[in-house]
Amino acid sequence: MLSFDLHKRKFLTVFLLLLFAWSLMGVNWQEGVMHSSGISTAGEIFAAMFTPDLSMDILLLAAESSWLTLAYATAGMSLALILALIFGILASGVLSSGKRSRTLMKGSFRGVLGFMRAIHELVWAWLFVASFGLSPYAAIFALAIPYGGILGRIFADMINDVPEEPIKALRATGASRLQCLFYGYLPSVKNSMISYTMYRYECAVRSSAIMSFVGLGGLGYQIQLSLDDLHYDEVWTFLYFLIILVVIIDGWSNMLRRRMAQ
Amino acid sequence: MKKRRSPFLTFSFYAFLLLIASSWYFVIGIKNASLTELFSKENLEYATKFFKGLLGVGQEEIAFLNRDSWSDAFKLTVETLQMSIMAIGFSTIVMFLTVIPAARNVADGTLTLSRRWYRWFVFGLIRVSYIFSRAIPELVWAMIVIFIFKPGILPGAIALALHNFGILGKLCAEVIEDTDSRPIRNLASAGANRAQILMYGVFPTVLPQFLTYILYRWEVIMRTTIVVGFVGAGGLGQEFKLSMSFFHYTEITLLLICYLILVIIADYISEKSRFFVK
Repeated sequence: MLSFDLHKRKFLTVFLLLLFAWSLMGVNWQEGVMHSSGISTAGEIFAAMFTPDLSMDILLLAAESSWLTLAYATAGMSLALILALIFGILASGVLSSGKRSRTLMKGSFRGVLGFMRAIHELVWAWLFVASFGLSPYAAIFALAIPYGGILGRIFADMINDVPEEPIKALRATGASRLQCLFYGYLPSVKNSMISYTMYRYECAVRSSAIMSFVGLGGLGYQIQLSLDDLHYDEVWTFLYFLIILVVIIDGWSNMLRRRMAQ
Repeated sequence: MKKRRSPFLTFSFYAFLLLIASSWYFVIGIKNASLTELFSKENLEYATKFFKGLLGVGQEEIAFLNRDSWSDAFKLTVETLQMSIMAIGFSTIVMFLTVIPAARNVADGTLTLSRRWYRWFVFGLIRVSYIFSRAIPELVWAMIVIFIFKPGILPGAIALALHNFGILGKLCAEVIEDTDSRPIRNLASAGANRAQILMYGVFPTVLPQFLTYILYRWEVIMRTTIVVGFVGAGGLGQEFKLSMSFFHYTEITLLLICYLILVIIADYISEKSRFFVK
């Protein structure tokens, strides 16, 4: 048995290495992969890392766009949470009574959630902008749909993993399905739901920063403008703002998770 | 008896309410975004035109019914797949090179039973680089990398790898921190050197977990390949952007179909392989 396992693992390693080698063949290595001035540009960008532009108006602009990024992320995430709660509960199938209707409901709503998260948020943003113009709602919806899909799927899994016994006890006292949901399922998964949402919130801030790429403002937009002007020092200022924003949210969510685990 | 909530939790709760309220106020009040305007007649017209375009209603050349465009799209799909594999390969290599000193129990010497003054310094340096790489989204990395490399799938793969090695490194360092240190300390006290400890103690216990994370990240990378293509880093994304700017709507539909197929395959593989690794 052990030798077989070892064999299997070796086989897997070789297979993965071959796959990687195959992917490297996709690049045309002969013609040179860098621009002729590539190395000097890389040096300039790297040097600018230590000398970010700290003039007042750039700092103000960076702070303003950080707020824009955060606001879009928060608004999108709050919408995603609502979507995820509705779809997640439906996709977990705890509300349906018969076995057949449960499989039907699980299958169909999981499919919907899968579709929502399969398409990247930036593609959603592009579709929204193309169909109804540059509006903050395009950014918010574009964030809310894929994040709703991810959260909803995880919520559904969490609800399905709730131990049977307390629910059976509730059922035995005559609770309806809705009462089971509110007094049995939701209280037992509440904490893990909150910590997963916090974890995703950090990702949402990052996504919201690149949302600007389609022209919706925010940190990513400023980064792009500065890059186009070859102002690498300004680029790094905005990047540092983004990093600080992400680190703060990461630290906050870590603290929150640790407190809730107690 | 009711458990007292810690003040931090209460504070966080209200802070979040405030944050949500102020961001919605900002969007609705200051940015003057109105939902009713969104669903105005004009926008409805645009939207129907756009979706009709996507479905190819009333157009002569419909890309997703054309054999040549399918074969072109297939070539791009393979390219995208190569890009994603290359990206996860690069980030895995960098992760393996840095992950051991980045674990807290290696830095403080409890795992290897040896202490060096520089360990904490290396630990801090690597962790900061992880945070750096993680906090900057792949699209921004791609915008920077495209300045250095020629357009193609290589800059895309590098940009994706730059973002993902931080995430992989953090996840995998945590795996090492959580391993049972007793067998490894046993090896160390039996006189194994660093390489031997690594080969016989650390890797066998953590590799299955690493592989799960790598596959999980690969699935995420697959989804993001389209995005780095937008800035000229090759694959489906680049073509997607081109068709978007030329208003070749039916081509967009075709590319979206290919993209969805790739994502679903990646999803399926990573789901199944989790059982395989176990």
